[in-house]
This record gives sequence, structure tokens and C-alpha cells, in this order.
Amino acid sequence: MSDFEKNGQVTEGATELASDEMTPKEKKEEKKAQEKRESREEFKEWLFFQKKELVKNFNIVKQLVIKSVKVQYRNSVIGIFWTILNPLLNMLVMYLVFSNMFGRGGGTWVDGNTYTLYLLCGNIVFGMMRTATYQALPSLVYNRGLLTKNKMSYNVFPLANTLSAMVNFAFSFIALLGVMLVVWIQGNAVFSWNILLALVVLPALFLFCYGLSLVLSALYTFFRDIMHFYNVFLTLWMYLTPIFYSVTMFEGKQGFLNKFMYIVVKCNPMTHFVDYFRNVVYRCSAHAGAIENIVAQGGIAPPEFIEAATLPGFGTVAMLYSIGIISTLIGAIVFMCTKRKFIYNI
Amino acid sequence: MFKSHKKHVMKNSENVIEVENVSMDFYRRDEKVDNLKEFFVRLIKGKLEKKKERILENISFELKKGESIGLIGHNGAGKSTLLKIISDILQPTEGSVRTHGVIAPLLNLGAGFDYEASGKENVYLNGAILGYSKRELERKYQEIVEFSELQDYMNVPLKNYSSGMVARLGFAIAIDVEPQILLVDEILSVGDENFRRKCAAKIDELRKKGVSFVIVSHNMDQIRNLCQKALWIENSHVMGYGEVNDICKQYEAYCASIVDKDKNG
Repeated sequence: MSDFEKNGQVTEGATELASDEMTPKEKKEEKKAQEKRESREEFKEWLFFQKKELVKNFNIVKQLVIKSVKVQYRNSVIGIFWTILNPLLNMLVMYLVFSNMFGRGGGTWVDGNTYTLYLLCGNIVFGMMRTATYQALPSLVYNRGLLTKNKMSYNVFPLANTLSAMVNFAFSFIALLGVMLVVWIQGNAVFSWNILLALVVLPALFLFCYGLSLVLSALYTFFRDIMHFYNVFLTLWMYLTPIFYSVTMFEGKQGFLNKFMYIVVKCNPMTHFVDYFRNVVYRCSAHAGAIENIVAQGGIAPPEFIEAATLPGFGTVAMLYSIGIISTLIGAIVFMCTKRKFIYNI
Repeated sequence: MFKSHKKHVMKNSENVIEVENVSMDFYRRDEKVDNLKEFFVRLIKGKLEKKKERILENISFELKKGESIGLIGHNGAGKSTLLKIISDILQPTEGSVRTHGVIAPLLNLGAGFDYEASGKENVYLNGAILGYSKRELERKYQEIVEFSELQDYMNVPLKNYSSGMVARLGFAIAIDVEPQILLVDEILSVGDENFRRKCAAKIDELRKKGVSFVIVSHNMDQIRNLCQKALWIENSHVMGYGEVNDICKQYEAYCASIVDKDKNG
């Protein structure tokens, strides 16, 4: 800071000296140049300040994520393995309920054989969104101790919660790979490099959750009811996401309810995230494998198999990214507009 | 355009804090509407207008480098709010605050701790919030542990600490920032006698380095010892501002008169 002030004074002095022998026009130009220099210096300083803030916030978020992952399972016997075991147990429950009690709607016979994977993929993607937003919701209020005693950015808390949900998601992915191995041994799944495509939309999913977290955590500082409301809403949202059923269930069926459900489920952003994830992780390669078998035995692959074996294209990825970016933008706007009032309400 | 971050252009270059005509409004606590039902009920009744309460009225003071100022006054007078405004946690409704240099707010030790996390995790988190880089943190971690004398407890969750241990850890972290301005809110009496002496020594050391203090305390001896100036706030107004001994004397006289009034009915 002091260096800058000194520099400013030095340049001022120089112009004063020079101005004695200058015409008015030159003076004007000199003044303009001076202003330009100053604004450039100012910009540099501003940039430096922003960079410092960014590094600081990065460190805070990192420590928050480390802490939350460590604390989460501190007093449990198997610790971090719960993050792997949790989605597995959930999958088991759903498998027991939905594979026998209700039967399934939609899908091919390959989907029938890989139903465990179908459930698990849907479950961990939706679970990531649920964990991120549900934890971020009260994060500003829970951290009032920090916020009212220190000068810091508010958005580090929703951000840290979203990121730690991503870390949990990574552990859940290990569970998914384990189940996939079992299904592969049964001969129903195929490992392929397509699985890496899942990484492509992770940033979009992150942005979607982050935007949602920003809105929810901001609203929660004003209305504590949001938590109860959102809890119910999450349950509804889960049923409107094709986790244990397929969207094709509603396709081609008559009746207002079917059509209505079809539209609602199709408009649900999570449907597209879940479907994309499923397709790249196992569904496309499993169907491609099935087609190969059918063709090898001299049969003709049914069209729904060919459709299922087609990898999601650029359009899908672009759509998912726009969902994520729109969500973050809305979140940022809501957060920016309300953040001045947070401190009085938390 | 890029001046928003500049709070540092001082009127007088010797000053580290310039508080100018600061006023602060709060909404009354009992009027706080934090659930939807209440919100709509009030909206329908048309009673959503907010009751403002002035917490601070037209406060001004300045502080030179190396000087210290004591804030005195009864509970609820607005002293802690003023500290929060200086440290930029709250924005004043009117007036402006300019500061120069790194500010370390020591407000309510341990308020920002996560009691489920261990001492070590809390040191790292608090360090990050105070703006240390990772390398600085690793270097300072040892210092903090040594100063707080909690070597054996750093991996224990904070919920198992005694309140004195928490305060010691909080003080050790906050004092380690190497600030130019230290804002202290009634925390100079933490820990046992031994630790208190250590704190006093550390504060002396910082004073010799030229750190400026803003101290909130009800202990007049402490204020007289540490500060050159004092600001007396009562019912959100400034009652006195000037040389520390004068103001403390006035304040003590005022307190005595209130006690007399109570005695006489």
C-alpha cells in the first residue's frame, strides 16, 4: 500500500515540473495519460486484492471441507467406510422393495439384469445433490459464531458443503465400481472407457448444487421454515426423479396422469443428470455388448437397444451445463441481493 | 471503479483508525420475523414495518499508530457493535470508518470453533479465516500450540476441552496474526494466573512493536494501564472522549452517582 502511495506522489511531482514548458494541449494530454496511469495502477491493486481474497477463501474452503469430511464419521467404528456402505445399503433396500414388490416399468431386459446398477447410479447422483443442499441450507446460521466475529465471505459455507458432498460422492463411486464388478462377473455389465465421461458433467452437477445451496442458505437466514419445507420437497423430488423407475414407463401410455407425470419428470433437472450418469457409466456399454451378442447369434438388434447403446451427445452435455450455470447465476443473484441482511438474521 | 476495496486512504497519514460520524441502526430483537407464518400474518395485518433502534449515534474518534484507546460504558451501550463496525463485519448506517493495516478482531474467544473438530483442525480453519497461507500456517502451528500449552490435546475434539483451554487456544490463534490494529473485547482475563501473565507480556511486546489497540473493558485499571485515550459511550451516545485518566474519572463518578441514586431510591 505504502509503495503505491509513494509512486503516486513521485509521478505527480514529475508532471508538475514538466508542466511549466508545455502548451495547454500537451498539458491536457499529459493529464489524460496521468489519469490512465492511475486507473491502471488502481486496477492492478484491485486485481492484487481480489487475488489475495481468492487465495484466502480457497484456503478457508479447503479447511472446511477437510474438517467436515473428518468430523462426519469421527465417532463411528468403521469411519469413512460409511460413505461407501451407505449407498450400498440404500441400494439393497430399494432393490428388495422395488424389484419384487412393484415390478418395474420401462427398460429393456438388459436393464432388468443390471437393475442394481440402475438403482445405485440414480441413488448416488441424487444423494450427492441431497447431501449438498440439505447441509448447505443451515450452514450460514450454524456458523454464526465465525461470521459474526470475523470478516469473511459468506459464500464459503455453501461452497464448502457442496464440495464435501462431492468428496462423499467420490467415495460412493467406489461402491458403484464394486457392484459393477459383481454384475460384470455375472456377465451382465461391461467395463468401458465411457465411464470417464461421467467426469465431464461433474462440474455441471456441482454448479447446479452450488446455485441451489446459495439460494437455500440465503432464504434460511430469513425464514427458518424453509428447512421443514425443503425436507418434504426433497422426498417429493426423489420420487419425481427416475431412480427406481424409468421415464419410458410413462411413454406411449394414455391418460392425463401419465402425460402429466411424463412432463414433470422430463422437466426435472435431476432426471437428466441421473440419466446421463447412468448411460455413460454402464448402460450404453451394457447394451452395446448385448447387441454384439445378438448379432453374433445371427439376430437383429431391436431398435430400443440401439437407442440405449447410443452415448449422450454434445447437446445433452450442453444442456446439463446450461442448467448448472443458470442455477449458479440465480443463486449468485439471490445471494448478492440478500447478503447485507444476513448478519442481522443469523 | 475499482475503489470499493480501498478503505485505507486516511485523512491524516499518521492515523490507523478514523471513525467519522458513525451511526448504526438495528432492528429490535423482539420484532424479528423469522418464520413464514409470522411474516404473512404481519403482512396481512400491515404490521411489517420495522422498528428501528439506534445503537450508535454520531460516534467519531481517531487513533494514531502505536496509540491505544479504551472503550468504556455500561453493558449494551454499543461498544462491541462499534468494534464490529471497525473490523468491517457490520456496515454502519451512516458515517464512515477508515483503517490502515491488518486488523485482528479478538471478539469473544472461541466463538468460531467447531466443538466436534479437534484442536488442530480448528487452528487450521481459524488460521485460514485470518488469512494465513498454508505455508505460514504450518510454521505458525507450532508457535500457537506452544503458546497455548495444549501440546497433548491437539488431536482431541474441542468438546472435551475445558472452557479455559478453549479460551487459551482462541487467544493463542488470534494473537499470532501480527496485526497493526488489535481489537480486544473483554478477553484479557482468560485462563489461570500463569496464562494471564503470559498474555500481558505478549500484549506489552505487541505494544512495543507499535501495534494499536482498541480495548473494551470494564476494568478501569487495565484501561489506564494500556491506553492513552478513552471513549465513553452511554446509551449509544458519546459521553466523553479524550485523555484516559480524565474520562475514566468521569465515568467512575457517573457510576458512583448511579449507585447513590439506587440507594436513595
